[in-house]
Amino acid sequence: MELIVAIGIGVLCSCGTYLLMRPRTFQVIIGLSLLSYAVNLFIFGMGRLRMNAAPVIDHGTVDPAVYTDPVPQALVLTAIVIGFAMTALFLVVLLAARGVTGTDHVDGRER
Amino acid sequence: MTPSTWLALLVLLPFLASLVAAVLPSNARNGEAWLAGGVAAIGLVAMFWLYPYVTDGQVLRHEIAWIPQLGLNLVFRLDGFAWLFGILVTGVGLMVVLYARYYMSPKDPVPRFFAFFLAFMGSMLGLVLSGNLIQMVLFWELTSLTSFLLIGYWFHLAQARDGARMALTVTGLGGLGMLVGVLIIGQIVGSYDLDVVLSSGDLIRNHELYLPALLLLLLGALTKSAQFPFHFWLPQAMAAPTPVSAYLHSATMVKAGVFLLIRFWPVMAGTDAWFWIVTSAGMATLIFGAYSAIFQTDLKGLLAYSTISHLGLITTLLGMSSPLAAVAAIFHVANHATFKASLFMAAGIIDHETGTRDIRKLSGLFRFMPFTATLAMVASAAMAGVPLLNGFLSKEMFFAETAIRDANPFVNVALPVGATLAGMFAVVYSLRFVHGVFFGPAPTELTKVPHEPPALMRRPIEILVLLCLVVGIIPGLTIGPYLATAVVSVTGPETPYYSLSVWHGWNWPLAMSAVALVAGALLYLVLIPYLAKGIQGPPIIRHLIGQRIFERIMLTITSKWARALEARLGTRRLQPQLFLLVVCAMGAAGLGLFGRLGQIHWPTSPIDPAFALLWLIGIVCAVTATYQAKFHRLVALVLMGGTGLVTCITFVWFSAPDLAVTQLLVEIVTTVLILLGLRWLPKRVEELPNDPQVLKARNRRYRDLVVSGAAGLGLAIIAYAVMTREIPEGISEFFLENAYKLGGGTNVVNVMLVDFRAFDTMGEITVLGIVALTVFAVLRRFRPAADSLAKPEQQQIQNAFDERRPERSQGDSVNEYLMIPAVIMQWLFPVIIVLSAYLFLRGHDQPGGGFAAGIVMSIGFILQYMAAGTRWVEDRLRILPVKWIGAGLGMALAVGVGAQLLGYPFMTTAFQYADLPLIGRVPLASALLFDLGVFGLVVGATVLILIALAHQSVRPAKASRRAAQPVAVPEVAKDAPVEVN
Amino acid sequence: MTDLLDHLVILPILLPLAAGTLMLFFDDRLRTGKAIINVSVTLVLIVLGVLLVLRAAGQVPGGELAATYPVGNWPVPFGIVLVADRLSAMMVLLTSILALSSLLYALARWHTAGPSFHSLFQFLLVGLNGAFLTGDIFNLFVFFEVLLAASYGLALHGLGSVRIRAGLHYIAVNLAASSLFLIGAALIYGVTGTLNMADLAVRVPLIGETDRGLLEAGAAFLGTAFLLKAGMWPLGFWLPTTYAAASAPVAAMFAIMSKVGVYAVLRLSMLAFGAGAGASAWFGQPVLLIGGMATIAFGAIGVMAAQNTARLAGYSILVSSGTLLSAIGMGNAGVTGGALFYLVVSTLALSAFFLLVELLDRVRAEGALLLGVTAEAYGDDEDEDQQAEVGLIIPRALAVIGICFSICALLIASMPPFAGFLAKFAMISAMLNPQGLAQPSPVPLPAWWLTGLLIFSGFAALVALVRTGINTFWVTMSESPAPVRAIEIAPVLLLLGLCLGLTVLAGPVMAYMQDMATIIHAPAGQIEQILNAPLVVEIGGDQP
Repeated sequence: MELIVAIGIGVLCSCGTYLLMRPRTFQVIIGLSLLSYAVNLFIFGMGRLRMNAAPVIDHGTVDPAVYTDPVPQALVLTAIVIGFAMTALFLVVLLAARGVTGTDHVDGRER
Repeated sequence: MTPSTWLALLVLLPFLASLVAAVLPSNARNGEAWLAGGVAAIGLVAMFWLYPYVTDGQVLRHEIAWIPQLGLNLVFRLDGFAWLFGILVTGVGLMVVLYARYYMSPKDPVPRFFAFFLAFMGSMLGLVLSGNLIQMVLFWELTSLTSFLLIGYWFHLAQARDGARMALTVTGLGGLGMLVGVLIIGQIVGSYDLDVVLSSGDLIRNHELYLPALLLLLLGALTKSAQFPFHFWLPQAMAAPTPVSAYLHSATMVKAGVFLLIRFWPVMAGTDAWFWIVTSAGMATLIFGAYSAIFQTDLKGLLAYSTISHLGLITTLLGMSSPLAAVAAIFHVANHATFKASLFMAAGIIDHETGTRDIRKLSGLFRFMPFTATLAMVASAAMAGVPLLNGFLSKEMFFAETAIRDANPFVNVALPVGATLAGMFAVVYSLRFVHGVFFGPAPTELTKVPHEPPALMRRPIEILVLLCLVVGIIPGLTIGPYLATAVVSVTGPETPYYSLSVWHGWNWPLAMSAVALVAGALLYLVLIPYLAKGIQGPPIIRHLIGQRIFERIMLTITSKWARALEARLGTRRLQPQLFLLVVCAMGAAGLGLFGRLGQIHWPTSPIDPAFALLWLIGIVCAVTATYQAKFHRLVALVLMGGTGLVTCITFVWFSAPDLAVTQLLVEIVTTVLILLGLRWLPKRVEELPNDPQVLKARNRRYRDLVVSGAAGLGLAIIAYAVMTREIPEGISEFFLENAYKLGGGTNVVNVMLVDFRAFDTMGEITVLGIVALTVFAVLRRFRPAADSLAKPEQQQIQNAFDERRPERSQGDSVNEYLMIPAVIMQWLFPVIIVLSAYLFLRGHDQPGGGFAAGIVMSIGFILQYMAAGTRWVEDRLRILPVKWIGAGLGMALAVGVGAQLLGYPFMTTAFQYADLPLIGRVPLASALLFDLGVFGLVVGATVLILIALAHQSVRPAKASRRAAQPVAVPEVAKDAPVEVN
Repeated sequence: MTDLLDHLVILPILLPLAAGTLMLFFDDRLRTGKAIINVSVTLVLIVLGVLLVLRAAGQVPGGELAATYPVGNWPVPFGIVLVADRLSAMMVLLTSILALSSLLYALARWHTAGPSFHSLFQFLLVGLNGAFLTGDIFNLFVFFEVLLAASYGLALHGLGSVRIRAGLHYIAVNLAASSLFLIGAALIYGVTGTLNMADLAVRVPLIGETDRGLLEAGAAFLGTAFLLKAGMWPLGFWLPTTYAAASAPVAAMFAIMSKVGVYAVLRLSMLAFGAGAGASAWFGQPVLLIGGMATIAFGAIGVMAAQNTARLAGYSILVSSGTLLSAIGMGNAGVTGGALFYLVVSTLALSAFFLLVELLDRVRAEGALLLGVTAEAYGDDEDEDQQAEVGLIIPRALAVIGICFSICALLIASMPPFAGFLAKFAMISAMLNPQGLAQPSPVPLPAWWLTGLLIFSGFAALVALVRTGINTFWVTMSESPAPVRAIEIAPVLLLLGLCLGLTVLAGPVMAYMQDMATIIHAPAGQIEQILNAPLVVEIGGDQP
C-alpha cells in the first residue's frame, strides 16, 4: 500500500510542480492545488499508514499501540485550512491581475 | 581640566561649532566667521599651550572606552609630529576663515559653508590626534565625506558635482583599502592601538601579511595625497570655492595621505617593497605634476598640479626611508603648506578682482594690485625653491638625499636627474604664474577694472608669506625646535644630526639647485611663444586625461556592466524563479540524502487492488488535469476535483475520518470559488506551431517536465522510505493517552486541534480571517478586463430567446433555468444548518468539529446565493461576514485569555459533560467555546470570500452596458455556469 | 500566575491579535479611532519588547538562558512552548520599533488607501512576534503563514497594476516555499517523532545512520524555505520587486520580514545542527557561507544597477541578508555577534530608507536619475561661465530630508562614523581574529573572500547612493518640492536616532550581542532548560 501512496504523492507532486512553472495563472493555481494534495498526503504518510485504527478512543485507559498517530492528522488539518485560504487568495489576486493587465500571463504581459 | 582631556575637546569643539553654524541665519557672514575663526584660534592656542607636553618624544594620551572588547577605543594621542599637523590644521584654518569671510559672496548661504568647513576641520584634527587605527580610518573617511560636501558646495555647477563625486569615490575607495590594511596590521600586532603598533615594527615588517597590509595602506595614502596614478581627482576638485582649495589642497586633505605615510613610516618603511613602490610613485608624481603644471591655463589648475608635484616630492623622500629623508619630508610638509596656501589665496583674490582665473586673459596685473602681486611673487619664489625662502631649504635637503650614492646604479642616476628635472619644471611654472599674470601689457578681456582687495582679505597671505621669509632666512631660530620635536616623535631617539642653516657650502645639492634655476629660466624663455598660444594641457600626453578615463571606467562598471550582470544573474520573471526554487530544493535535499538513504524495504503489506484502481483513477485525473489546464479550464478543474476525492478516500482508507470530512468540504468550496473565477479569464488562443517563441516555450516545457518528474520521484522515494521505516519513539503516545483523561474528548485529532495544539488552530483561523479581509480589499476595487465584460454566451442566447417572445421579458429564462434546483437549495437551507450544528457538537468525540461545521454552514449560504441570486438573498438575510470573523477570533481569544484570568497559561482548558435533550451527552469543554470561535470565523471568512467573488457578476451587468459594443464572446464563458442572477 | 509579567512572553502575540480583532468591529471610516488603538498598542508592544530584552539581559551565560511559556499548560515537548531568549527578545523589540515608525508614517495618508489596514498591520505583528517567540517547528510554520498572509494583504495595500503584479509573484513564490516548509517539518517529524525545537536538538545526535539522510533532507527542505524568505541568491529575485512595489510604510515594515528567514536559519541551524549535533554538526554551513557571498555580490551589483531608488533599497535588503547569512556561515561566535549587531543596524537603517524613498521621489524633479547618469558620462561638458559662482539656498524641509538621507546612506554603505561601520568592523575583525584579538591564529581562507565582498558591497552602495543623492538634491532640485508632513519625517528621525544611539552605546550593545552569540553557539544549557520548563499546575492536578 505504501508503494501506491508514494507513487500517488510522486505523481501529484510532479504535476503540481510542472504546472507551477507554467506561464498561465490558471495553470499555476491548479498546480498549487495538486501540490497541496501531494503535501497533505506526504504529511499524513509521515505518521505511517494504518487501516482501521482511527484515533477515536473509547473512554478509560487507552493502548496507544492500536491507534494510528494523531499528530500528522492534526498537522494536515491545519495545512488543509491554510492551503484553502491561500488558494482563495491566489485566485482573487490572479483575477485582479488579469483585470488590470488584460492578460492571464504570470508576468502580466504576453511573454 | 587635565591637558589630555583638552585633546578630546579639541576634536569635539569643531563638530559642535559646525552644528551651531548650520542653524545660523543664511546671511550671518560675520557671525559664522567669528564662530569658525574662534574655534580655529582656540585650537591654535591650545596647541601651543600643549607644546611642553610633547617635546623630546613625550606623548600625551587621552582614552575613552568605546568598544573595548573589540579593541576599539577613542584614543586621542598627541606627539610632536601630530602637534605639527595640528598647528597646520588650526593655523591655516584660521587664515582661511578670515579669507573666506571676504571671499564668499554676500548672497552665498554661508552657514552651509562654515558648517561643512568646521566639520572638516574637526575630522582633520581627529585624524591627526588618533591613537587607534580604526579611529584613524573613521576620521580619515570623515575627511573624505566632509571634503565631498565642501567641493560640491556650489552644487549647481556640474564641475563641482563631478569634482566632488570623483574626490569622494577615489579617496573613499582608498579609505576602504586602508581599513582592511589596518585590520591586517591589527591582526598581526594583536591590537589596534597606535602605540602598540608603533612599538612592533619588526614583527610587522617580517610578517607574511606585510605586503598586503602595505599595499592596502598605500592605496589609502596615495589616493588621498593624489599620487600618480590617482592624481586626477585633485585638479577636478578645483571647482570648489577658493578658500576650500586653499585649505584642503595645501595644508590638510591632501596632506592626510602624507601624514599616514609618516605615521606608519617607523613600522612600515625600510623594506625594498616600500622603497620601490613609494619612491617610484612619488618620483612619477613629482615629475608628471610639475610637467603638467606648466601647461595649465587655469591659475588654480596650475597650483593644483604643482601641489601634486610637491606631494610627490614628499612621498619620494619618505620612500627613501632614511631618517634624514624623513626629516626633509616633515619639513617640506610645513613649508609647502605655507606657500601653497598663500598662493591659492592670491589666485582667489585675482579671480575675485578680475572675474577670471584664465592665465590667457590675465596679464600686467602688477600695476593694478602691486601689493598682492609682490606677495604672490614671494610665495611662488618659495614654490620654485629660490634661496632665502623656506621652499629652498627643504628642496636642498631633498636634493641632498637624492644625491646619496646607492647600491643600485639605476637609482643613482634616476633620483638626482629626476629631482633636478622636477626642480627645473617648478621654476618654469612658477615663472609662468608670476610673469604671465603680473607682467606684460594691461589685460584687455576683463569685464571690470581690477584693484587691491580689502586689506583684511590680504592679511592671511601677508602672514603666511612672512612665515616663508622668516623660516627661509633664520630657520634655526624659528621652526628649528618645533621641527626637531616633530622629527623625534617619528624617527625616535636615534635621530641623526641635521642642519637647517641656509648655507652648507659648495655641494651637490647647491649645484643641482643652480642647474634647476638657470635651466628652468631658460626653458621658460624658450616656451614663452608656445605658452602664448594658450593651449590647455601638456603636450604629448594632452589627450591622456585621467578624470575622463576614470569617469568612463566608473560609468562602464557601475552602470553598464552592473545592469548587464543584474540581467544575467537575476530575473524579474516568475517562471525562472519558481524553476530555480524547485531545483534548489531538490539539490539541497539531494545534498543531505545522496547515498545515505539507508536501505529501502520492499513492499510487505499486500496491495489491495481496489485501492490500486482508485489511485490509477487519481493519477489519470491529475495528469489529464495538468494537460488540460491551459486550454480547457473547466475540464482541468473537474479532474482536479477528482484527484481531491481520491485523496479524500485515501484518508478514509487509512483511518483519518476527520481529514476526509474536511478535505471533502474544502474541496467543494474551492471548486465553487474557482468556478466563480473562471468567468473572468480570457479566451485561450492556439499558438502558431512554428513561431520561434513557441518553440522556445516547448523546449522549456520539456525541461520543466524532466525537472518536475525528478522532483516527484524524489518526494515519492522519501515518502516511501519514511513510511516503511519503524515509527520513532515520538510524542504521539502522550496525546492518545491523555486526550480523554486531560482533554475530555475521545476524538484525539479534534482534541489536539482545540486543546493540545489549539495555539496552531488559533493561528490557522487568523490566517483564514486575514485572507478573507485581503480578498475583500482586492475585489472591492476589481476591474474586469475589457474582453470579459460581455455577458456569457449562455445568457446572451437566453436573452435573445426572451427578445423573440413578446410575452417574455428580458432575463426571464436566466432566472428560470435553475428553477427546480433553486427550490431544492432553498429548502435545503435549514437542513444544512442542522447538519452543521450536528457536526459541530459531535466534533470533540467523533469526526467533525468547528471547522467542518463552519464550512458546511457557509456552503448553505452560498447555495442560497446560487439558487436565488445575490440581491434576493441580501434582501432577506443580512450577513455581516467581517463581524462574524471578528466575533469568531474574539471568542477563540477570549477562551484563551479566560484561562489567564484564572491564573493559568493562555489556552489552558477545562471540561465538563452535560446531557442535552435530543442530542444526548455532549462534552462542554471550554475547548467547545474555542471551537465555536473557529466555527464563527470559518463561516465569516468563507462566506465573505464567496460573496465578494459572486458580487463581481453583478458588476459587469452595469459595466457591459458602459462598454461600447460587446467584444467577441469569450470561449471560457461556457465554463461559467454559476452565473448569479 | 496571575501577575501580568508571568504572561510577558505571550503578550507580544496576544495583544496585537486582540487589537486587530477588536478593530474588525469598527467601520473603516473610524480611522482616527483605529489609529489611536493601533499606535497605543504598538507603544505597549515596545514596552513589552524592552521588558523582554531587559529580562534576557539580566541572564548571564550559564544562568537562566531562556524564559519559557507552556501554552495551554501542556508539558514540553508535547504542547507548544514559547521561548524568549536574548535573540527572540531582541527581534520582538526590533519589530515593534519598526512597527511604530511605519505606522506613524502610514498615518500621514497611506492608511486610508484601502480597507482594514490597521487590522492587517496588527496581524502582521502577531505573525512576526509569534515566529520569533515560538519553540515549536510546526507552530513556526503557522506563524509564518500568519505573517505571510498579512504581508500579502499589506503588499497589495493600495492596489494598482504594479502592486498586483508584484503581489502575484510574491504570493506564488511564497506558497511554493510554504509547501517546502511543510514537507520539511513533516519529514523531520517522521524521522525524529517530535516537533519541539529543543527536543529535536536532543534527538538529532541520536538518529541512526540509516535515517540521518532523511533527517538532513528534511532540514534541507526547511532551509530552502527559510533562505527563500531571506532572499538568498538565486531564490531572492522576487524580493526587490515586491519591496519596491509595496507602499512606503509597508516596505519599511517588510525590512524585518527578510530577517525572519535569517532568524529561523540561525535559530535552527545552531540549535539542531550546531556543534552538538553529532554526525550532523554544521550541516549546511557551507551553503550559508557560499550562498550568502553570492547574495552579497548579486545585491551589490543590483544596487549599482538599480534604475530607481525603491529598487536600490530592495537590493540593499539582499546585501544585508547575504551579509548575515555568510557571517552565520562562518560558524564563529564572534562573527555572529557582530552580525547580530549588523542585523539591528541594517534593519533600522533600511526601514528608514524605505520611508525616505517616497520623500525623495517627492522632492526630486522628473527624470533626475537619467540626467545624473548622462552628467556622469559627459563629465564637465556643461558650459560653466554662464553659471554664477553663488550657492543655492536649500529650503529647511529639504535640508532635513537631505541630512536624513546622508546619514541613512552612510549607515547602509557602512561608512564611518556610524553604527553601520562599527558593525562591519566587528564582523571583519572577528573573522580575521577567530580566537579574538591578540590571540594569534591562522585566518581561514573564506574570511578573506568575505572581507573583500563586504568592502566591495559597501563601496557599491556608496557609489549608488552618492549618485542618488546628487541627482536628488544637487542636479535637479525641483523648484517647489511637494510638501512633507512632520509625521512623515518624524519616524525617519526616530529610526536614525536609534542608529546614532547604537553608535554611541556600541560597547554595551555589542557586549549583549556577543553574549547572545555565545549562547546561540553553545545552546546545551538553553535546551536543557526549555525541556524542563515548569508547568503552572502539574497535569492531572486539579483544573479550574
